[in-house]
Amino acid sequence: MTRLAITVNGRALAPTEVRDDLTMNDFLREHLGMTGTKFGCGAAQCLSCAVIIDNPDGTSYTSPTCVVSAISFDGKAIRTVEGHAKNGELTALQKAFVEHFAFQCGYCTAGFLNEAQVLLERLARKPVARDELEKTIAEALDGHICRCTGYVKYHEAVRDVVLADPKRYLA
Amino acid sequence: MRPSRREFVKWVTASGIALSMSRLGAAESSGFPARATLPGRGGWNPAANGAGRIDGVAKVTGAKLYASDFRAADLPGWPSATSHAILVRAPDATHVYLGMDLVRLNGASKPSVVVTAEDLAKIGTRVPEFYATDLFCPIGKTPLYMGQPVALLIFEQFDAFDRARLALRDGTFVKFGEETGPVDLPSYGAFRFTRVAGPTPESPDVYSPIQAGWVTPGRIQNTALPVWSSYAKETAAPYGKAAVHGEQIRAELDPKNPALLVLDRTFETQSVDPMFLEPESGLGWYDRKDEGLELVLGVQGPYEATESIAFLLGKAPAPFKPARINTQFTYLGGGFGGRDHTSFVLYVALAAMFFPGKPVRLAHDRYQQFQGGIKRHPFKMRSQIGIDRATGKIRAFAADHVLDGGGMANFSANVAVVGATAAIGIYDIPKVDVTTVAVHSRGVTAGSMRGYGTLQTLTALEVLIDEAASALSLNPIEFRRRNALKSNGRTMMGNPYTVSVRTPEILDKLEMHPIWRQRAEEKARLQSGGILVGTGVACVTKDYGTGGDASLGRVEIGADGEISIDGDHVEMGNGIGTALANRVAIHLGGVADQVSVARVDTYDALGLVTSGDPYTMDQKTQDAAEKNPRWVPAISSATSASIGAHVGTHAAAEAARVIFRYGLWPAALELWRIPSTDPRTKDFAKARWKDGQLSLPGLTPLELPVLAATAHARNLVTGAIAHSFSRWGWSRARFQFGGEQYRAEIDALAVRKGGGKFAPLDRVSVLFPPTHNNQSGNVYTSMCGTLVRVEIERTTGALRIAKAYSVLECGQPLVPEIVRGQSQGGFAMGVGYALLENLPPYEGGPGNGQWNLGQYLVARGSDLPLHDLEIEMLPPLTPDEPPKGMAEVVMVPVVPAILNAIFDATGHRFQSLPVTQAMLKGAIA
Repeated sequence: MTRLAITVNGRALAPTEVRDDLTMNDFLREHLGMTGTKFGCGAAQCLSCAVIIDNPDGTSYTSPTCVVSAISFDGKAIRTVEGHAKNGELTALQKAFVEHFAFQCGYCTAGFLNEAQVLLERLARKPVARDELEKTIAEALDGHICRCTGYVKYHEAVRDVVLADPKRYLA
Repeated sequence: MRPSRREFVKWVTASGIALSMSRLGAAESSGFPARATLPGRGGWNPAANGAGRIDGVAKVTGAKLYASDFRAADLPGWPSATSHAILVRAPDATHVYLGMDLVRLNGASKPSVVVTAEDLAKIGTRVPEFYATDLFCPIGKTPLYMGQPVALLIFEQFDAFDRARLALRDGTFVKFGEETGPVDLPSYGAFRFTRVAGPTPESPDVYSPIQAGWVTPGRIQNTALPVWSSYAKETAAPYGKAAVHGEQIRAELDPKNPALLVLDRTFETQSVDPMFLEPESGLGWYDRKDEGLELVLGVQGPYEATESIAFLLGKAPAPFKPARINTQFTYLGGGFGGRDHTSFVLYVALAAMFFPGKPVRLAHDRYQQFQGGIKRHPFKMRSQIGIDRATGKIRAFAADHVLDGGGMANFSANVAVVGATAAIGIYDIPKVDVTTVAVHSRGVTAGSMRGYGTLQTLTALEVLIDEAASALSLNPIEFRRRNALKSNGRTMMGNPYTVSVRTPEILDKLEMHPIWRQRAEEKARLQSGGILVGTGVACVTKDYGTGGDASLGRVEIGADGEISIDGDHVEMGNGIGTALANRVAIHLGGVADQVSVARVDTYDALGLVTSGDPYTMDQKTQDAAEKNPRWVPAISSATSASIGAHVGTHAAAEAARVIFRYGLWPAALELWRIPSTDPRTKDFAKARWKDGQLSLPGLTPLELPVLAATAHARNLVTGAIAHSFSRWGWSRARFQFGGEQYRAEIDALAVRKGGGKFAPLDRVSVLFPPTHNNQSGNVYTSMCGTLVRVEIERTTGALRIAKAYSVLECGQPLVPEIVRGQSQGGFAMGVGYALLENLPPYEGGPGNGQWNLGQYLVARGSDLPLHDLEIEMLPPLTPDEPPKGMAEVVMVPVVPAILNAIFDATGHRFQSLPVTQAMLKGAIA
C-alpha cells in the first residue's frame, strides 16, 4: 500500500492509501465513483480511459489510466470529463461536440474530449498555420478509437472550435 | 418454417415470478434529472432547436449512462458496497475439462463463492431454449466451444477481485485432460430458397418460397453438411420440389453454353468482433428477506433479457427462486447487434443469486469480451451466375452458403436466412437457387451483427457482378442499371417490396460523381510515381425489420405545452431519443422537453396481453386471439439500430397524431372560432406547424402553449399511449372517438383527457398483418451505393483510401446529422472489415482469452478519408414518406467497393477477407 495524494479537477483529495497495483482507472471508477472516465480495453489501445495531466509549468498531456498505476499519479493534478464544465457552463469544445453530433454511443467521448482539450491548449500556446490544422488534429486524435462515428464529426468539431477563434489558435 | 427470433412464450406465467422493468435514470450525482434524457428547458439544449442530440450534454459531462457506470452505492435502497464476480471461460474445446486450479488465489485474493455446473444442477436452473446449451461446462466433459464458461468466482471485496483477475489473466489455471477432439453437434439450421419466375414479369412465378413455403433438407446422419440433392433419402416432398427446380437452374448455368457468360466463384469472409467500446456489464442484488432480485443491465432487448432470467430461475427451489425480479435498464444498450440476446445477463443473475444479500457486479474486461462476446458469422460461399452475352441480362444465379455459428445457439439460423434471401442484392433475376446452412463449431458464438448476413453475401455478389461486367466489357454501373429490380418487381422470395425502390437514382448519382468520372485520369496521373490507383463501385439493398417488430410509445403534453415521450426501444448510439423527439415534433409542433428510451414500465394502461409466437403462429390462432381487445402478437421486441427510426419511433408518432387530432386540433378550432358545421373542421391534414405555431391558410397562427392550455381546459386529449406490431406491415385498428371512428396503424390505444388518468380504448376492429407474411421475404428495404478510390504503394502494398462517396435513401430522415454520422461510422466499420479486422477460428482465436486491441485492428482516423468522405442522402420521395432503416445498409457497399477498387488498381480480384497489406504486396509483386 502506498499513500496517494492527487488533485482531481482542481480539488486536492485527502491523501489515501492504495494498493501499488491498483490502476488509475480503478481508482477513479471504484474508489472515487467517477465513472465518466471509461474502461475500454485495459491495454492502452483505445484511450477511452485517457485523462489530462496538468504540469506545474502550465502545459498538459493526456495519459491512459487503464494500464497505469494509481500511485504513479501521486502529486499530480488531473482533469477528467466531469471537470470541463464550470458551474454548469460547457466549454466551447463540449458545445461543439454536442452541436456537431460528434459522438453516437458516447463511450469514447471522454477520451476524445480530453485529447482535444489538450490540443486546444497547446495551440493556444503554440499556434499552427491554417494549412497544418487538419493534419495537426488528425495526429492528435489518432490514438483514440471510436467504433460508431467514423471520426469525421469529432474532427469537424475540433476544427470549428479552432476556426471560431483563429487569433488564439492559428499562426 | 422460420426459426423464431423470439422463441420465448410467456415465461412469466410458467415461472411464477413477478417481473417488473424500468429505465434506470442517470445517477443524481451527475445533476441530470433521474427520468429525463433531456436537460430540460432551464439548461443549454441545442436539441430543442434541432441542433445536437438530446443526450449530448450528458455525454460530454460524464453522466452515468452505461451499465458499467453503476455500482450499488448509486442505487437508492441498495446496500452501499459492491462485490465483484469473474466469469471463468474455457480456453480449450478439444480436451476434457478437469476443473480449476485456484491455488494461486490465496489469502486476500480468495473468492468468497465459486459457482460451477454442479451448483446449477443442484438448484435446477433451466437454459432458455434459444441458447440450447449448458451455461457451464461440467467437469469431465469437453467444452462445447472455446470460451464456454466453467465457473463464476465471486469476491466480496474489490481488492480481492482485482488481485485475482490479474493472477488469473493467463488462463492456465483452467485444467484439461484427455484429448477428445471437438464436440460434434447438429447444425443450427439449413434452408433452400428457390425461385423460378414466369415467362413475363406480370405472370405468376412458376415456383417461389412465398408460394410454396420455406423448405429445409431432411436431416441426414453421418454428414457434416446437409445433402441438398432432390434424390436424397429422407427428402420430404416440399423440399424435393424446390430441389428439382434448383437443380434445373444449376444445370442451366452451363459454362459451355456460348450464349451465356457463366462465372463460378468462391468467397470467404472472416469472423470479426462487434468491438462496441463498453464491454458487457451488469449488476445484481438478491435480497433473501423479500425474495427480490434486483438487476441493472444494458441490453438491446429489455423484455427478452428479463424473461430469460425468469425462465432460468423459474423451477429453482427456495431460496434460489426469487419471488420477483425488478430489472432496471440503463440508457445505453446497443452494441451493433452484439447485445441482442446475449447470455451474459444470465450470469449476472446467477452471480446475485449465489451471493445473496450482497450486490454483485459482473463486468467483462476486453479480453473476456473477445473471448465470450457474440461475433459476426464467417461465411464460405460458392456463387454461380449466368448472363446473356447478347443482352447483358442476368438469367440465373445459384449459391451455397456455409456459416460458422460457433458453439452456442444464437441467431445463426436467422442470419443464414437473411444472408441467403439477400443474395441477389439489387438485381432482378428470374431464376435463383440458394442453399444455406449454419453449422455448430467449437468457435466463439456468432450471432446478430450489423449487416446480419447480408454484409457477407452482398460482398461476394458485388465482387462477382464487377467481374461479370468486366468480362462482358460493360460499364459496371450500366450493367447494374440494366439488371436492377424495378418497383413492383419480385425479389427472390417472390414478393415485391412495399417501399420505394430507388436504385436507378442511386446508380445515376454514382455515375455522375467526380470520383467515377475522373477514374481514368486519376489512374494515369499517379501511375508513374509508383502508386497504383483504382476506383470501385458497389450498390446494395438491405432489409430492415425482423418481420415481428413491436413498438410502444407514450406521449403527453402539459398545460404549458411541455412535451414528454417514453419509448421502449433502446439507445444504441443511433440517437433513438433524438429521433423520437423529432418525429413527435412533426405532429405536435415542438421538440420534447423530456424523452425516456428503453422505457418498459409506463404502458400499463394498455393492459396488453400476448400469447404464442408471432413468427410461427397460424392464422386461425391469431384470429381467435385477437378477439381479446387487449391481445397483441408481441408486446415489445429487441432493438437494432436499423429499425430505430422505422419501428422505435412508430408508436410514439402515432400517439402524437392522436393528441393532435383529438386534443390540439379541436382546441385550435375553438380558438379560431370555427363552428362544428364549418367544413374546415375536417382540414386537420392541411394544418401546418412552423416555428412552434399551428397555421391554417387565412387564419392567425396559434402558439403551441396556447393550444395545449386550451386542450387541458376543455378536457380534450392531452396524452396517448399506443402500441403497434409489424409483420412486414403494421397492424391497423379503428377506435371510437365520440361520433367518429379513428383509423390508425396501431393495435392498442389509451388516452388521457385534460389532467385526468389514462384509460384504454377498446379497438372497434383490428387487422393484424396476416401470418402468411411469415413466408415472405423482406418487404422493407433501403438502398445505398458507394464509390471508393484507393491508392496503393507498389513497393509496400500500403493502401490509402483517397476519396469515397456514399449515396443512400432512407425516406424521411428524422435526424439528418445522425443519418450522416451512421453513414460515416458504417464506412469506417466497412474499411475495418475489408482491410483490417480478423479473428482466426478456434485455437488461435479469441476463445483463448488472450485477444485484445493490440492484435485486433479496427479502423482509426488515419485509415479513413476524413476530409474526402462525401455522404449524400436522397430527399424523401414525398414530405410524409416514413423513415426507412439505414444503419446497416450504409456499411455494406463499402466492402465490395473497396475490393473492386483494389482490382481496378492491381488487376487482382481477392476472394477472401480481410485484404491485408501483406496480401496486396504479394499480389502486386
